[in-house]
Amino acid sequence: MPRLSIDGREVSVPEGTTVIQAAEELGIFIPRYCYHPGLSIAGNCRICLVEVDNLPKLQIACSALVAEGMVVHTKSDEAEDGRRAVLEFLLANHPLDCPVCDQSGECDLQDFYMNFGLYDPRFREHKVKKQKAVQLGPHVMLDQERCILCSRCVRFTDEITKTGEFGIFARGDRAELGIYPGAELDNPYSANVVDICPVGALTEREFRFQARVWYLSSAPTVCNGCSQGCNMDMHYVLDRPHLNGGARVARVKPRFNPDVNHWWLCDEGRYGLGWMDQARLKQVRGPSADAANAANAVDATWEQALTAISTALAGLGKGQDGAGNGRAARIGMIASAQLTNEELFLIREIFHGALGAQVSASVPQNPGSCDDFLIKADKNPNTMGATLLGLAGPDAPEAGQIVDAALAGNLDALWVSGHDLVELFGAETVRELSERLSLFVFSGTNENPTVPLAHWVLPSAAYVEKDGTFVNYHGRVQRIGRAFPPLEDSREDWRFLLQLAARLGLQLDWQQPEEIFQALATAEARFVGLSYETLGDRGVEVALTRPAAGAAEP
Amino acid sequence: MKLSDLEGPAREILRRYEEPKAAMLPLLWLVQENQGHVSSEAEAWVARLLGVSITRVREALSFYTMFHTSPVGRRELRVCTSLPCRLRGAHDLLERIKDALKIKPGETTPGGEVTLTEVECLCACELAPMAQLDERFVGPLEGGTVDALIQDALAVPGTPESTPEPEPYICSDGPVLSTRLKDPEGTWLEAYTADGGYRAAEKVLTSMTPAQVIDDVSAANLLGLGGAGFSTGRKWSFVSKDTDRPVYLVVNADEGEPGTFKDRYLMERDPHACLEGMIIAAYAIGSHKAYVYIRGEYYRSAHRLQRAIDEAHGQGWLGRNIQGTGFDLEVVIHRGAGAYICGEETALLTSLEGGKGFPRLKPPFPAISGLFSCPTIVNNVETLACVPFIFRHGAERFAAIGTESQGGTRLFCVCGHVVRPGVYEVQVGVTLRQLIEDAGGMRDGNKLKAVIPGGISAKILTADEIDVAMDFGSLMAAGSMAGSGGVIVMDETTCMIEALESAARFFADECCGQCSPCREGTGWVHRILERITDGRGRLQDLDDLLAIADDMEGNTICVFADAAAWPVQSYITKFRDEFEEYIKAGRKARSEVVACQG
Repeated sequence: MPRLSIDGREVSVPEGTTVIQAAEELGIFIPRYCYHPGLSIAGNCRICLVEVDNLPKLQIACSALVAEGMVVHTKSDEAEDGRRAVLEFLLANHPLDCPVCDQSGECDLQDFYMNFGLYDPRFREHKVKKQKAVQLGPHVMLDQERCILCSRCVRFTDEITKTGEFGIFARGDRAELGIYPGAELDNPYSANVVDICPVGALTEREFRFQARVWYLSSAPTVCNGCSQGCNMDMHYVLDRPHLNGGARVARVKPRFNPDVNHWWLCDEGRYGLGWMDQARLKQVRGPSADAANAANAVDATWEQALTAISTALAGLGKGQDGAGNGRAARIGMIASAQLTNEELFLIREIFHGALGAQVSASVPQNPGSCDDFLIKADKNPNTMGATLLGLAGPDAPEAGQIVDAALAGNLDALWVSGHDLVELFGAETVRELSERLSLFVFSGTNENPTVPLAHWVLPSAAYVEKDGTFVNYHGRVQRIGRAFPPLEDSREDWRFLLQLAARLGLQLDWQQPEEIFQALATAEARFVGLSYETLGDRGVEVALTRPAAGAAEP
Repeated sequence: MKLSDLEGPAREILRRYEEPKAAMLPLLWLVQENQGHVSSEAEAWVARLLGVSITRVREALSFYTMFHTSPVGRRELRVCTSLPCRLRGAHDLLERIKDALKIKPGETTPGGEVTLTEVECLCACELAPMAQLDERFVGPLEGGTVDALIQDALAVPGTPESTPEPEPYICSDGPVLSTRLKDPEGTWLEAYTADGGYRAAEKVLTSMTPAQVIDDVSAANLLGLGGAGFSTGRKWSFVSKDTDRPVYLVVNADEGEPGTFKDRYLMERDPHACLEGMIIAAYAIGSHKAYVYIRGEYYRSAHRLQRAIDEAHGQGWLGRNIQGTGFDLEVVIHRGAGAYICGEETALLTSLEGGKGFPRLKPPFPAISGLFSCPTIVNNVETLACVPFIFRHGAERFAAIGTESQGGTRLFCVCGHVVRPGVYEVQVGVTLRQLIEDAGGMRDGNKLKAVIPGGISAKILTADEIDVAMDFGSLMAAGSMAGSGGVIVMDETTCMIEALESAARFFADECCGQCSPCREGTGWVHRILERITDGRGRLQDLDDLLAIADDMEGNTICVFADAAAWPVQSYITKFRDEFEEYIKAGRKARSEVVACQG
């Protein structure tokens, strides 16, 4: 473990560590463009130059290996002059695009100039002209003039996606970044190059000119596009509806998690948030006074809905008939692997535990595309949570059985969370259910063909509008984060489920998802010891095998 | 020929390389030589054969200047306008050619006869001003030779050429390198062995250990003659010993330094000396595979060296079990395609592996991890050509010829404003003054103004600094460098501002573009000098140029940036008054590197 000193402070690091990494251990930031911990070392930008005692030339910290007794100075006059020189070279031909460049406010050229430069520029010649505003693919725009040729994107498409689209053509100061003429940058991870581009050369097409980054707020959460559960930060703007087409979600950035997605996000997940502000269910709807049309014809209030629904459910739950014989519940609940663990736990407690209903989160699925990197075929974020809670998987009933039971006349009430039953079982079936059932509730976030056929429509909050947890395919329990309140009259599932429980006379004394999770962690052996605090930013992996005998059973 | 017809030859080429993607340049040459240019269909074909993304092929095509991506003329006329040729009228020559063909560089004559290109140094400065018509070098191009050249350019290939074969002065007095350089047709195996050739290799292979070979080469004080001047014996000793990876010998025949042309004569006229040096070197480092990276424009060198390789194979001097000694060695020629930077040893390796000529971070050094990540030694042609002498006549003898720190002789290349440009073999301790005298002194009785002693990168010396010895140590002490041994002589008719602009243009054109200080710095420096020679300079520009050069020095992946900085620093410092006067007077270049008026 070589011991070295950086800016007068000592640190011991493993053999093979680079100076830039050792500096990070000490909390010393050495500026960098081409260096990225997820990619091979290029050493071409030269901005990480540092002074090392007994070496005549400045060394690049990104590739210099630590040595016993090494003495490094990152802020000496030499090092700072070297840094200033590199900045001056990089800015020589760089176009004065800040006023129109999306990267402004999060640009490493701007930031490093302000922190490490502040020199008077001397370049007075005509700048080299290259192509601007080139659309490379569905998500990425290129401005060749802004490019500092750090080659991060080239290494990304070589080493991470292994699709080899990017190249640097020509030489000298005519060198330019590009893709093969006529080709497209359309691999499933294309937008990551925008994240890693330190400047405004590669920018997101969807985000182009939508909002200045300093107007964006950030909330950490997890992608709900598949069972991988990639960590991300959701960037949103609430108080400037003239920006971003009025949508709250501006864009999504990956959040580093070494155990899930590293530094990356797939395009499908990244661009799968449009539904959050489009075709949302925003209003409670219920049956009209005219009994002939049971389907949700009129606007209603949560009060009205929850009262009517709880009354109906109370009469249909398990119990005893007049003769004291056991009476099975006549309620079916088709939950969703889109819901959080807290919500699934509540559903289990309320519908299965208290009401004795048939509950399933298992619906027929056409597996989506998948690959050997991040993308999973299961496009639900919490299938594993539902499975661990007994609502999906080999030991749980299936939604089809519940639908059959309803069609056979064994159920009078059906609650569907999120699914489009029309797509799953056919319009005919759903129309029949709507007519047969005395209570048909749909709760969910967006419009779909089932919604018009339900008696009661409860608008759910989107997953970025609530706190909670998901369990990814590998058993990692991760928090999701509430960024902003639910849209209009939509409401968090956990909230209206608790309100429903109260009306059913159940003593569920929890006020927030965190408390629900506490209860869940107490009840479920696999989750014992977990809390929002212990889950932290990156989650905790739980065992997927059955816990030892004697532990609490679901 | 159709691409499908080239599949067979392509596979044969692929077999020569340990990794398929290394065949990038040879496959692109195969296509261009058969189809005239490289179409996008051919790019895809090459990509498929190499197993790489088509982007990599496009990168190579855009990086190396000798490839064409669209159809060109029947013939190609490349006119050199680098500094040594500029000193002898290359600009006016190009104007004459443009008028005669009625096209500009980059264009093709309407009938499709010839494409005209303006190129950087072809390393034929002894023939300045010169051009290359297809494979032939032609020069000096003055008077009637130009008309003959135009005639040849427009003629159908195969028509007997009317331009004469150049006859520069090529020393053949020896004792080490030039004894067989007299005959322009070259010395072939029979004559070579009759002259004592291959006896050194025989002695080494049959009676010496690799360690002894390295010791002798070290004792001889042989320094690398490509330009770096590093001890050859010491370099060979760095090769990883305990490794199960193969060791490679790579010969750097990418002669590119303006003012230098010696390696070409060694390859064209004494190829067996190069091979014998390679055999001994390979034996010393434990290598059984050698690649010779020859610059693309050196067609004749490649043909002749290949002929020598075939002869050597025929007589059991290459291949398996050389002369029954049990030592194997294969030699493969690999042609470059127009990139000076591939003369930098790690850029050469990256190019040889199929990429653009991008220098690599060091460490690791090639001796530890080089070609295909295996231990590799890269040596210059001339350095290896010295080796047989060391083993025929002894290390002490070689060392004694030179100075304390550097043994032997070298082939100095003298060009520019001397009476007799050419190759001069002299012991390394010769003074620059003596060397200029050997070359006949100044042309037209003009006064000497400045000399570049070691290729265009070397810091310039003034007329009163020429009593310096030409070995590496002495020139370094004098604030310059011995470099490639290319001596560019400038007389009083030279405008130093325009000379510097020419040098700056060379570095801007040849910069690989990989790292920021060099990429931006070389372009910036050239643009300032262009503005100055367009009459729009400011006095502040001079200090700016010095500051930019200082900022480039020492901060890059390879020493190209330093090489680009040194001319800026030395010309401006040593000729400051001339620069200031030029700027104050608002002079403009007459597009010829000639002295300022008045």
